Amino acid sequence: MLRVWLILLALAGLASAQVQVRISGWGGTDIAIVNGLLKEVVQPKLDRKGIRVVYQPIEGDYTQWLFNALSAGTAPDLFYVDIFWSESLFASGRVEPLDGYFSKQELAEFLPNLIQAFTYKGKVYGIPKDFNTLALQFNKDLFDEAGVRYPNQQDTWETFEAKLQQVQSKLKDVAGLCVVADFARFGAFAFATGWKPFDAKGHTVLDENFRRAFEWYTGLPRRGAARFAQDLGEGWTGGCFGGEKAATAIEGAWIAGFLRDKAPNMRYSTTFLPLDPVTKRRGNFIYTVSWSMNAASRNKPAAAKVLKALTSPEAQQWVLERGLAIPSRRALANNPYFQRPGKEPELNRVVFQGSGPQGGNVYPFKFLAYGGDWMRPINDALLAVMTGQKGVDQALRDAQAALDRLTGRR
Amino acid sequence: MGAKEAVRRRWAALGWAYGLLLAFGVFFVAPFVMGFLASLKTDPLEWPFRLAFSQVSPKNWAAAWRLGQAGSGDPWLGGMRPGRQVALEVVYFVPRGVEPTLLAEIPRRKPGAGMGAVFETPYASDHVTLEGPIPLERRPAHQEEGEIIRYRLVLRYQGEGPFLERVPLDLEAPRGMVLVEATLDPTRFERRGRVASWDNVTPGLLGYVFHNYVRAFRETRSLETGESLFLRWTLNSFFLAFVKVVTTLVFASMAGYALARLRFPGRQALFLFMLFSMMVPGQVTFISNYLVLRDGIFGLSKLFGVETLLNTYTGLILSGLVGASAVFIMKQFFESIPREVEEAALIDGATPLQTLFRIVLPMSTPALGALAILTFQGTWNEFFWPFIVLTSPREIYTLPIGLLSFRNAYGQVGDWGLILAGGFFSMIPVLILFAVFQRYFVEGVNVGAVKE
Repeated sequence: MLRVWLILLALAGLASAQVQVRISGWGGTDIAIVNGLLKEVVQPKLDRKGIRVVYQPIEGDYTQWLFNALSAGTAPDLFYVDIFWSESLFASGRVEPLDGYFSKQELAEFLPNLIQAFTYKGKVYGIPKDFNTLALQFNKDLFDEAGVRYPNQQDTWETFEAKLQQVQSKLKDVAGLCVVADFARFGAFAFATGWKPFDAKGHTVLDENFRRAFEWYTGLPRRGAARFAQDLGEGWTGGCFGGEKAATAIEGAWIAGFLRDKAPNMRYSTTFLPLDPVTKRRGNFIYTVSWSMNAASRNKPAAAKVLKALTSPEAQQWVLERGLAIPSRRALANNPYFQRPGKEPELNRVVFQGSGPQGGNVYPFKFLAYGGDWMRPINDALLAVMTGQKGVDQALRDAQAALDRLTGRR
Repeated sequence: MGAKEAVRRRWAALGWAYGLLLAFGVFFVAPFVMGFLASLKTDPLEWPFRLAFSQVSPKNWAAAWRLGQAGSGDPWLGGMRPGRQVALEVVYFVPRGVEPTLLAEIPRRKPGAGMGAVFETPYASDHVTLEGPIPLERRPAHQEEGEIIRYRLVLRYQGEGPFLERVPLDLEAPRGMVLVEATLDPTRFERRGRVASWDNVTPGLLGYVFHNYVRAFRETRSLETGESLFLRWTLNSFFLAFVKVVTTLVFASMAGYALARLRFPGRQALFLFMLFSMMVPGQVTFISNYLVLRDGIFGLSKLFGVETLLNTYTGLILSGLVGASAVFIMKQFFESIPREVEEAALIDGATPLQTLFRIVLPMSTPALGALAILTFQGTWNEFFWPFIVLTSPREIYTLPIGLLSFRNAYGQVGDWGLILAGGFFSMIPVLILFAVFQRYFVEGVNVGAVKE
């Protein structure tokens, strides 16, 4: 009897020695990825330290859930933060700055652009778990059939457009590119001109450079190089591409999974976005998500250990080798995975390099704390011009007025 | 008004009535039919919408049945087992001047989205060998210059190995060569018609026609146990709906009876309060309800060793034992029962509870039936509150929340077939309920409305 009690006591002692760290992210494919990562890489490491990770994926509106949970005090210790709404969350003071847990050296091992993206008022609030940038995918069959040379990384807007025009005129039923009225794509071209979304005062000025990119992008359908995605019954450039309605697409690595189901046999290849003919540079977005820590967490040291394990080189290697996401560590740039033959490693490589010097003027996909409100006037302007409701002058004037109201410029 | 006029009027009235019925029918039923057809398609967003597609052709049904039978002995769900072989025939038109070279391959294919993208399942290409394409017959074409070639492909699964759920196949032909006929129509054409691609050449009848439905069950697996999550969610929804129907019937009839018949102080006030609570929308009270559940009903649950009632069915069931509207319906119905019946019971010495369960309830089957159906339907479709209470693990979701997770997993890659199939599937129980108990639905609205 005594022995039984002793064993029970010992077990109870073990159970209490184990610290629980709750982590959350959104649902979908991420559930399987994080679960696999925890099972195979993270948890075995943490078992020795007496830490148990409890993963709670959230279906539905993750942003809303997170903000609610943080207010209700039920938020987990670690959670995803999307760059897009990161600033408004960091400004609320409910996220723990991580400078105290990570040394300068440790932070320097991540891509500087990404760490910068999660830096708010000089402090780092999140460790990027992965990221994406835009790249140009092209269907080799269609270019071969039209007898046009493939797009390459020396292409400027002009030479790229000429290729698209040729494809569209030779094949008739295929568009060169299908364009969308979305700053999340067009913005990369605006950045290439040297235009910045915000000036030093935090105001947005749609200057001559912006106008140049705007005119080029919205004029593509009129000049016979592209068609408007909605006219082809699609909502994104990848949809047109997968259905062979367009010869090229401007998307990130997320298109790979879609094409694997939609067009597994497509012979596609990937290169960088074309260069602005004037500045001879390109632009790009960084879409990224971090692991961040709850400022109200009760076991911060343990949470920091979990955070480190989740973003460790082994963890990122695991994710990369399965082609599930693009890692945020600099050292992985030379990973053999990127050199493997095949369309998906190539796509991932170009997307990875898009965040560095080859990406040109790269900005994170966030607009201070304005979020989608900031993009709306520009998207409206793009739509109005592409559908012929407004001229360029009128559309830009209206967008500028709306942005001024938003940013308090006048 | 002459007889002719009367006849004309009658016909006009009939015309209007049937015209309206037809219009309503088209309005309500057509989207339903189109949605159902789209859920069978490989590409549900296909535009222009075709009514004749491969999943509805009897030729393919027969082929799918036969191939499933040959591949695994299961003509319904197909697949392929060791030691079996299947044969497929394809007919190509080869225009003059084109060299007929047909390349066949069993590709190594992995789903791009959802759990399938992460789970490692056996690849058919590792186990199945392909023989062919062997030209069987060549003859000149009638309409155009060129010839028609019939090929045969044999897929063999030799030696030992795992059961394969699907065996994909790709055929690549040079430009100009056109596939005119195949034992089983290909799932899709790619590369401008050069590649004919089958997701599964041993689908079985259900696996072919209800491809997306089968996927919904197969591709959503629990990471811990490997069981089908979609099935789990369906069972969860049934369980919750059943429990809620029972609690609602019991509590609504007891409360309704008390309010209708028993005399006690504050009865009127209680009834008014209940009516008032019906008028407060759930969105107003959900935060406080959430906090109450989070703390385990003021810490009461801790007595039973449960820290919080979030993510538990106990919490969900306790917070929705009975609705005010259910009590209201029962109260109104009980008031319509003649008092004399109960007085007779009283004289025989029955207590109020005995009166309720022995006399009144057996007389109330229409009201109970209506209430049961309305409650079942309401619980089955309930989204908002379970969505807030049940967040993880995924195994505890109800079907509507599970469907939302489908949208997140598959919607982002444009795989709408699975979502549509899931949506349709979740509709079936309510549909059956409606068809069978139609009468009660109508009564449910009337119950309590007419008093004597």
